[in-house]
Amino acid sequence: MSRVHKYDAAKEQLVTAVEMFLNGRDRSSVITLAGAASGIFDELVRRSGKEAFVDYGRRLARELNGKTPKRSSYVHHVNTKLGVTVHKHLWDGESDTVDLDLETLAADAVLRAMVDYMSLSGEDEPFVKAYLHWRWTNEEDGPGLIERYKQVPQRMKPK
Amino acid sequence: MSIRTYTRLELAESQLTSAIGLFVSGRDRFSVITLAGAADVILSRLVMNKGAENFTQKIAKTESESGGVPVSLGAQGKAINDLLFINQLKHMDERDDGFIDLDREECALAAISKALVNYVALVGDQKDIVLAFKAWAWKNLDRTKYDVDALHGVSPGVQ
Repeated sequence: MSRVHKYDAAKEQLVTAVEMFLNGRDRSSVITLAGAASGIFDELVRRSGKEAFVDYGRRLARELNGKTPKRSSYVHHVNTKLGVTVHKHLWDGESDTVDLDLETLAADAVLRAMVDYMSLSGEDEPFVKAYLHWRWTNEEDGPGLIERYKQVPQRMKPK
Repeated sequence: MSIRTYTRLELAESQLTSAIGLFVSGRDRFSVITLAGAADVILSRLVMNKGAENFTQKIAKTESESGGVPVSLGAQGKAINDLLFINQLKHMDERDDGFIDLDREECALAAISKALVNYVALVGDQKDIVLAFKAWAWKNLDRTKYDVDALHGVSPGVQ
């Protein structure tokens, strides 16, 4: 029996997710592990007083649509969009097939977890750098993305 | 990037395969628990959809018969998930102090074993991951602690 803090358990799961992702291993497992890590980092980022990924999304939704989604609804929405929910739930009467782009979902599920992890612990560790490097080299237009980001109004940028 | 149709059994099987691979190679136990736990939710429902009794139903039935008090399926499922820290490794709420006390080796082994019972109920016991896990158990589990012979029926070398 040993005592562990959830931060460490979540970090181990994110490290495993990144290793599996960068080594071309099973995408479903990457999504589930990144989703689990996010479920813990989200609360820890809130406690740190910083803006969690989910709260940035809600703020963005308010800027775009004039209405802030309920936090629990938005978390559910994100977990559904990233394929996290379909990998850990199957309700009575649900179809036993599902259409997914696992490659994209895995990359994005890791990104969501990584954003919150970096809010807590920075971006200096090798697994973080490795993922960010992959992200940069696999973006269709990295420099263009930076230029477009510069044009985004300050109120719509992450805090 | 492409969308493909997956069966829920495929999604569960992929995650269980990763869980067993991580476990037998001595990797992160938290990831093993999360992946086996996610796979098991899907497998449990698929066993029910097939008209058979899943692992949780069997345990609830045994508990009800031995205790003389009906045990609900939901309560039994939650008790098992709590015992294996499946939810603790993917959630953190406002009141949570963040610490968990667990035997990660035991929980990982139990999470895989539980999911495997349901997997075998669906696809039989001759799939590669089942044979691989049985072979690992035969070679590595402490016979004074675990009923390894019952797991196998016979030695893998005799099968």
